[in-house]
This record gives sequence, structure tokens and C-alpha cells, in this order.
Amino acid sequence: MLKIRAIVAFAAVLISSVSVTADVQKGGTANLVLLPKFLGILPFDQARRGAEEAHKELQNKGSLDYIGPTPENSVAGQIEMLTTATTQKKNVVMLSNNAGDQIAAAAEAAQAAGTKVVTWDSPIPSGKGETVFVAQVDFGSIGVVMADMAHSIMGGSGDFAILSATPDAANQNAWIAAMKETLKGDKYKNLKLVDTVYGDDQAEKSYNAALALVDKHKNMKLIMAPTSVGIVAASKALQDEKLCDKIKVSGLGVPAEMVSYTMNGCAPEFALWSFVDLGYLTYYTSYALATSAIKGNIGDEVNAGRMGKFKIEADPGRKNTKRILMGPFTVYNKKNVEAAAK
Amino acid sequence: MSKFLRSWESLLILILGITTAVNISLAPEFLTLQNQVNLFQLSIEKIIIATIMTLIIINGEIDLSVASIMGLSACTFGTIIDVGMPASLAILLCLGLGIMLGAINAFWITIIGIPSLVVTLASLIGYRGFARVLLEDRGITGFPDWFIALGRDGLIGSLPLSFFAFALLVATLSIVLHRTGFGREVFTIGNSAEVAHYSGLRVARVKSILFILSGGISAMAGLFYAARLASVRGDAAFGFELDIITMVLLGGVSIFGGKGSMLGVVLSILIVLNLRNGMALMNITGHIQTAVIGILLIASVLIPNMLERLRSVST
Repeated sequence: MLKIRAIVAFAAVLISSVSVTADVQKGGTANLVLLPKFLGILPFDQARRGAEEAHKELQNKGSLDYIGPTPENSVAGQIEMLTTATTQKKNVVMLSNNAGDQIAAAAEAAQAAGTKVVTWDSPIPSGKGETVFVAQVDFGSIGVVMADMAHSIMGGSGDFAILSATPDAANQNAWIAAMKETLKGDKYKNLKLVDTVYGDDQAEKSYNAALALVDKHKNMKLIMAPTSVGIVAASKALQDEKLCDKIKVSGLGVPAEMVSYTMNGCAPEFALWSFVDLGYLTYYTSYALATSAIKGNIGDEVNAGRMGKFKIEADPGRKNTKRILMGPFTVYNKKNVEAAAK
Repeated sequence: MSKFLRSWESLLILILGITTAVNISLAPEFLTLQNQVNLFQLSIEKIIIATIMTLIIINGEIDLSVASIMGLSACTFGTIIDVGMPASLAILLCLGLGIMLGAINAFWITIIGIPSLVVTLASLIGYRGFARVLLEDRGITGFPDWFIALGRDGLIGSLPLSFFAFALLVATLSIVLHRTGFGREVFTIGNSAEVAHYSGLRVARVKSILFILSGGISAMAGLFYAARLASVRGDAAFGFELDIITMVLLGGVSIFGGKGSMLGVVLSILIVLNLRNGMALMNITGHIQTAVIGILLIASVLIPNMLERLRSVST
């Protein structure tokens, strides 16, 4: 009797841990919501394009809604919209989280009511209420890429500063921490990080913050901006002040917005992943979850159309959470930026 | 004046009827119990503060610092929990802090005599600054289960504790405002602080009580916010003051003081919540939601003043 029970238990463990590699079926019905941090900046529009591409490809009979809050109402707005989507019994909300753990309660309520929450771009820090996080790149590798760009632009030595988004932006903080970790390496010992300031992802505030950095640090050779808003604002500020010979800009930016600054030498190198691809992969993952092609367990494989296969794995950056890693990075310079900007 | 108020409130009832009818016909989920609970719960902290804000604006003043007091109270609560002290003590300390922050506002307004617009603009920035310094870029979670349940779970039926706090405040403050001597003083001072002063009313005392109450109620709202979201961050409740003031002004309370009623504000709260919820259920995106509420506010400030002008010209 005991033996049978043991076998049953063992079989149950086996079944529950079996990972699924099913091809997603086209023409299913999945009602999905794409919820960005807020409206009106280019990367989120690109993610939307990727999601819409996947929506057509999969011939989803359900709906794809793109809704988001305004920047000044981002936290409360995201919580409200996630709650509303739960009321509407949507299958999956694809969330680029801007509310930190403040949204965890709403996400848990969504899961309890049968609405899955797939995060992309920016996860729920505690992972509570989150089915899986579609990570653009490995957060640790962003640190290395930024440190390497700083190293190559400054010729291996000099002072530089960081112009970030908001002081509580989870991904920017993680990337800056990763970069500081990388800077401890011997290769970077002559690079000196002198300041970190915040432009709140607003163009004018970031522009002024960049100019304040210039006034404050006379020997500064580079502004590193790990935000698509900050990098453009800093580049424009230095170009307007005709300082691009002395001080360069680098960081994470969108090719279409950065092309002129890269060609005129203000921002010789910057990096990014494709937000179109991120939206596309997030959509495929969510559709597979909604149509029960995958359960969302570690080891499950998503067959994401033109992008190939991706596996759900444990997220090394956060305890007890799951992620799908998109990767890799593209570093843009004079050679490739024009092609990517089209 | 009472005729004017009556007509404004009947206009609000009409608008409320229309928004409700539109919501019911276009959004099938609108009338579900869960949605009705969500509708209140998502904005409960704002509407709690709107009750005391009504008295302050009728009194001819304004308190812009309410959301910052909420944020600072929530962040202080998080910090106290984080160092391992019991939540019950943290609640008391935070309510005390709110009363103190309100008293600081009251001191500058009544004793030093600086306009409340200036004083509370300064404390809006200052109190928020303290909140951000306290937590920097951390978020704090791990509150006790009973505390989170207070913010989230139904106390009676599906209605959480915060809803009853709101209902109690509406009842108490409308009696105070419309049925007591203190309420009459609030109106008289709002009409003209100078006249009130020379007729022997203790202007400073009335104003101080209101701002201290506002601080305490805002701190309580901050705790409800922390409990509902089970976490706090430096930007907790950021920008809520505008939504709160919008609800009060739309309720027919004059920004110049001396006019308004709790009934009007309650109606306006229902309108704003219904509108937001309906637009969300119809998948109308953030920009348009803000624009619609903005247009409502413009109308609510301009129309009563225009009517007032016309009335004074015709007499």
C-alpha cells in the first residue's frame, strides 16, 4: 500500500514537473492587454508593433488592447488598469511594470481570478503575482556593455557621470548596480564615476540635468545615460552647447532617435535591444499561456515564430521567479546606426 | 444662494445619471459587485481626503500637502516595520506624525499669516522630500498579514475597513459642516475672514483645527494605501492632491470659499469614479481619461463663476 502511494506520489511529481514543448496553435482565442509603463515614448510603441505583428501571425480571434496611463499617473494608473483587465476577465496582461511591488497585490488578485500577468521590460521585483518575466537582456550583461562602451569612448581613463531615469526605476537601478560591479574589474580601474543624477525620463529635466553635470564636473569626459529619454536629452544638450568635442554621450538609446548624434560624433556608441522583438516574444509567450500550449513552468519552451525557441528558466536576478531571456545586445555606432534607424 | 446650490446639485445628479446609464449600456462588467467594490477601493484614499478638503476649501483655504503627508506617513510606516517594530505601534506613530505635519502647516498659516497656498505648496515638496530621503529608491514589503487584510479584504461583505472610514467621515463632517456652530464659522470665515475676525470668531482656531484634522486624515489615508498595496515606495500617492481637489471643486465648492456642500462633493466623487471606471472598462487610454477629467474641472470652476457674474449683472 505504502509502495503504491509512493509510486503515485512519484508519478505526480513527474507529471507536474514535465516541461511542455508544444507548438502554439494558430487561430485560437486569447484576449490580451499590452500595458506599458506609460504612453508616449518610442520604445513602447515599438513593442506594440511587435505585439501586433505576432497578433496577426497567430490569427488570434481574441483581442489585443494597448492601454496605458499618463506619465504623471503611472503607478496608480497601472494598478487601476490591471484591476480593470481582471474585471474584464482578460486572459493575460502584458505588463512593463513601473510600480515596483506596489502592483503585486493587484497582480495576485488577477492571478486568483484567472488573469495571468506576463511582465516584460521591467518585472515585479518580488515576483508576486507574476507568471513569467520576458527579459530583454541579461541584467548583469548590461553592466559590462555599458562599462565597455565607457572604456572605449574615453580611451581607457577619465571621469564620467550617469544620467538615469527616476530614482526608483527598478531596471535602471539594477543596470547601474551591475555597471558599478563591472567597474571594480582591473580593466576599468582608470574610469572614475563621479556623479549619478536623475532626469525622471522627462526630456527637459534630463536636458537640464546634463547641463548641470557639465557645470559641476570640469574634467568629465562622458555622460552615460541608461535611458532612451536621457540619452537623447544629454546628446542634444551637449550639441546645443557645442561641447561634443570635449564630452561624449553613451548609454541605452533608440537608433531612430540617436542616428544624428551618432553620425555627428556626440554619441559615438550606444546600445539597445529591439523593443519590436521584445513585444513580439512577449506576445507569443502570453498567447501560448492563454491557449494552454504551455503552463509557465521552468523548462517550458515557447516557439516564437521568426525568433525561434525560448525556454523558461529560473531568473538569476530575483529569488523564486521565472524568466525568458531574449538577448542579445546590439551596440550601435557610425557603421550600423543608419540601417537600424529606418 | 441656496437656490443656486440646489441647481448645481441637481445638475450633478443629472450628470451622474447619464454616466451611470452610459456605463451600464456600454460596459457589461460595470454593475458586477466586484467592479463596484474595485471602483471605490482603487480611489478610496483620495475620496477619504476629499471629505476634509471640502471643509478647508469652504473655509477659503487649500491644502496641497495632503498627498505628500500620505506618502510620508506610508513611508514612515514602512521604515518602522523594517526596523522590526510592531505594526500597531507604527500605526499610532504615523497618525501622530500626520497630526504634527498638519499642525506645522497650521502654525505657518494662522500664527505667521502666510497664505495656505504658499505654505502647503512648500510642504507638498518638503514632506515628499522627507519620504524620498527615508526610502531612497527602496520599496518596503513584508507587512503583517492582518494589516494587509485590513486594506484589502472585506470587513462586512466585500467592503473593506477604508470604505467605512469614508462613510463615517462623510456623515460626521456633513453634520459638523451643515448642522453645528463650528460649521457656520467655517462658512462665515470662508466668506470673509476679516468680517469673521471683527465679529469675534476665533478664525485662527477654526483654521488650525481644519489643517490638523487634514494632516491626521491624510496620514490615515496613507496607511490605508500602504495596506491596500502591501508595499510602500518614495513615490507613494504622488500627485493625488490634484484628483482630490478636482473632486471637491466639481462638487460645487467655491475656490474662493464660503460656498459648497458635502452632498455636492459626494455626488461629484461618484461621477468621477464612475467616469474613470467606465472609461477604463471601455479600454479608453490614460491620455483621454485625463483630458475628460480636465474638461470637467474647467467646466466646474468656470460655469459657477460665470453664472455668478450673470446674476450680479442682472440684479
